[in-house]
Amino acid sequence: MANKITSSSTAEYFAKNLQQVGFSSPTKAVLTTLKEAVDNSLDACEDNMILPELSIQIERLGKGGSKNSDLIQIIIEDNGPGLSAENLPRVFGEYLASSKFGRGRCSRGQQGIGISAATTWAQLTHASGVRVKSKTASMKKAVEMYIDVDIKGNKGLVKKKETLEWDKKTGLQVEFKFDGRIQLNGDGGLLTYLEGTTLVNPHLTLKYKMPDKEWVEVERVSTEVPVVPPSVLPHPHTMKLGEFVTHAGLFGRTSLKIFLKTGFSRITDHSLKLLVKNGMKKAWLNKAMTQFDDKELKQIFAFLIDADLSSPSTKSVLTVGEDSLAKSIQRLGEVDFFSVVTRKPKICDFKPTVVEVALARFIDRGEEDKSVQLLRFANRVPLQFDKSSCAITRAIESVNWKSYGLKQSKNSIPQGPYIFAVSVTSPFIKFKNASKETIDASEELVDEIRLALQKAGQKLSRHIKKEAKAEDLERKIRHIEKFGPILVNGLVSMTKASQARKKRAEDGLSKILGIDTEVAIAELEVAEEKLKSLKVKQAEKLGES
Amino acid sequence: MARTSKSSRKSVQSKAEEICQYMLSTLEKGQRPILEAVRCNLDNSIYDPSVGYFVPGDKVVKSELNVSSVQKLARTVFMLEILLNNINTGATNTKRELYYMAKGLVKSDPSLKPIDFDGQPESDSVIEFITDMLEVYREELNCFADDRGGQSYSQNLIVTETMNDGEKATIDLSKLGTAPFQPKNQPTALKLKAKGKIDFCLIVESQGTANTLVTRGFTKRNNCILMGAKGVPSNGVRGWCKLIQDQLKIPMYFFGDLDAYTMQNIFRTLKAGSAASLIRNKDFSAPDVKFLGILPEDIKEYDLNSYKVKEKDASEVRALKKARDVLSNDPFFKDKKNKKLAAILNFLVKNKIRCEQQALFSVNPKDPLMPEKIILDKIKNKVFI
Ligand SMILES: Nc1ncnc2c1ncn2[C@@H]1O[C@H](COP(=O)(O)OP(=O)(O)OP(=O)(O)O)[C@@H](O)[C@H]1O
Ligand SMILES: [Mg+2]
Repeated sequence: MANKITSSSTAEYFAKNLQQVGFSSPTKAVLTTLKEAVDNSLDACEDNMILPELSIQIERLGKGGSKNSDLIQIIIEDNGPGLSAENLPRVFGEYLASSKFGRGRCSRGQQGIGISAATTWAQLTHASGVRVKSKTASMKKAVEMYIDVDIKGNKGLVKKKETLEWDKKTGLQVEFKFDGRIQLNGDGGLLTYLEGTTLVNPHLTLKYKMPDKEWVEVERVSTEVPVVPPSVLPHPHTMKLGEFVTHAGLFGRTSLKIFLKTGFSRITDHSLKLLVKNGMKKAWLNKAMTQFDDKELKQIFAFLIDADLSSPSTKSVLTVGEDSLAKSIQRLGEVDFFSVVTRKPKICDFKPTVVEVALARFIDRGEEDKSVQLLRFANRVPLQFDKSSCAITRAIESVNWKSYGLKQSKNSIPQGPYIFAVSVTSPFIKFKNASKETIDASEELVDEIRLALQKAGQKLSRHIKKEAKAEDLERKIRHIEKFGPILVNGLVSMTKASQARKKRAEDGLSKILGIDTEVAIAELEVAEEKLKSLKVKQAEKLGES
Repeated sequence: MARTSKSSRKSVQSKAEEICQYMLSTLEKGQRPILEAVRCNLDNSIYDPSVGYFVPGDKVVKSELNVSSVQKLARTVFMLEILLNNINTGATNTKRELYYMAKGLVKSDPSLKPIDFDGQPESDSVIEFITDMLEVYREELNCFADDRGGQSYSQNLIVTETMNDGEKATIDLSKLGTAPFQPKNQPTALKLKAKGKIDFCLIVESQGTANTLVTRGFTKRNNCILMGAKGVPSNGVRGWCKLIQDQLKIPMYFFGDLDAYTMQNIFRTLKAGSAASLIRNKDFSAPDVKFLGILPEDIKEYDLNSYKVKEKDASEVRALKKARDVLSNDPFFKDKKNKKLAAILNFLVKNKIRCEQQALFSVNPKDPLMPEKIILDKIKNKVFI
């Protein structure tokens, strides 16, 4: 476990600033607690090559202690590796905050504070922290603990401890009771979050129960556990000055030379020579990091920014994959048609990044005249708030969806019964703010997302075009039946023509218009043919052929 | 085919019947009838300096019968029948009335339901297609717009109107006091006679200002016809001016604002017609009308109040933008015959100023006759274009 600094003020800081980490309202508190626990379970399973099986139960127990809130109970259980008894208080009762810069991995958890914040919230609103039950492979019986955060000392306080039978090989179960409010649908809704999580985790089997609702079970559609590549060190060009200074602070008495070579990727002896050649004092290389003042750190940072370093490697990113996405999207409803695109990893703003897109039209959800439902993901974590300034939203708005046959008013989200899911994966995702809800909309990233969307849009348009052609044919047939007789009758009446002429004209007209419909039918057939070959490819993805 | 020849003086009825016969017999052969109509837009407008108005080029709009056009053609034949019936019975209607007549017929015959019009613009466009196809005036189909603009005053003019029932009415404009004569939208029905000599006809852009001049005795002191155009001249105004030009052969002057809109929309349409009415410009434009003002030099000469076009005023800015376009694309302003008018437009684009016709009232406001004096002064000294 990453645990480089554990300052006693950390817990105090977070206890006072819980809104910064997602506990800014009763509604968000429920979502954040759920999200922190689910993210952890999924990460733990992935790290141990376990196919995750999660069960989530949310109940409303009564009125909450604060205004406009209910007393909520959340129980989340996984089949992950479990945690040992001595680790439980540390994970659930201690803020483990390591480098603010994250871990350099595409894991969901990045900071080591998530779940302890949930404990703190429960403690502050309901006077008791978390109940955890855990069983690791080496334990015969499960251990159950009630843990609080010791806010002054930033330590986990074990209130009660028991061992008990649990008919599970390994796993972990957490229960929180706290003040919250339940919102199921829409942006920030619990079901919206679970749907998003389902979509980008094809290997997940999920059972959940919402208050006053039946249990729902969603089966996995893939039996492959995604392999999260090992962490990579940050690339100097991805950093801001502030991040660089914090990063430096973690290295204490190490020399600058060692700090640069072990704290970053792509810094070699050759690069160090380059720094000196560009004017950095050679003596600095052996000076301890603690001996640099801010001004000097700033200078070092400037030399690094100017240095010609090779781009970071793209090996550290992982993808869900087109095949799995194609299967997974079928779990969200009855799909009419869809298209998925996984781009190759690319360096955006010096960070290895991969963009994946799934667009699907549904039969049983969404509306023609409403905006499409947008699902955004950063490292496979659904983003729920502040969508307007997010790189993903920007990219969607910048595409001309009309050219793919969708409805859209200029520079806005298109309309129709669709889900647009866009996932950005990178070991160093840059968020706009601390609550990690919006991806910073840098030009390079927006461009990359746009390319993925356009490719998906092209595939989608084959379906839409076929539909349009079918509609066209129907309209043509209707047109002929409706207007043909009126035209002939009008002409006959104007010319006072005989019935025989009328009959001949009618025959002539149906012959002409018949040719037109034949053309329309042929066009429809071509469109259907094209679509068929696309569907064959998609079926292969779904493993149906 | 089915393009009726321009010169043919056949009656509307026979042209219409010819087209229907053609369509029917083509259908009998199992072929697609094609209807052609003059393309009425600026692309197909040729400014003929010898006659002074826009004439149609040879571009046509073709409507071949197919699934997409069958609705339009069915509607065309339907509307044609209504119009011919009107002609045969001598009834006249406005476009709006025709729209309602069509609605009424559809209501009474369920089999016609599919061609029902969804709003007047739909029936209007069918009527326009028919006029362009038959190359006749809407008025020849007994379809009239309301009589807008052109209110006229004179002590010397007598108008004889032949009404639909053949009866004649004679109007002596000098007997109307300060009430105006409202010209009909049917110039063919009017005959003009001068009582004594008429020196000129003055067309003022603002009907209100024309009225003011009359009240102050303009027509009493001058042997003239004074008319208010009321903005962009309607067919009625244009046909009326053409009648005056042809039947009385007197000098005609237009007096209005000095700005791009007046020059390119109002004056140009009065003098040369419009692209939308290509086939009718011959009888609905008065090429002899001179531009009396306000001229750029008048501003200095009479120290008139002018002002800069406000950047914020969208319509004025739009008019200037259009002026730039007009200067390079409109055949009227490109023709060297009108280069002095184009120069004014150029002046306006360059200097971005405006001067309104009512600015004449700022010159010595204590003298109520000042505007009249300036106008007469300009006519006498030939300060016009
Ligand atoms: N359900 C679980 N099963 C096994 N290990 C777990 C579980 N939950 C948490 N852990 C361990 O506890 C660590 C700390 O979790 P915590 O949520 O505090 O931080 P994080 O997930 O690393 O980062 P973040 O603050 O971004 O969530 C995890 O990194 C993981 O090693
Ligand atoms: Mg976590």
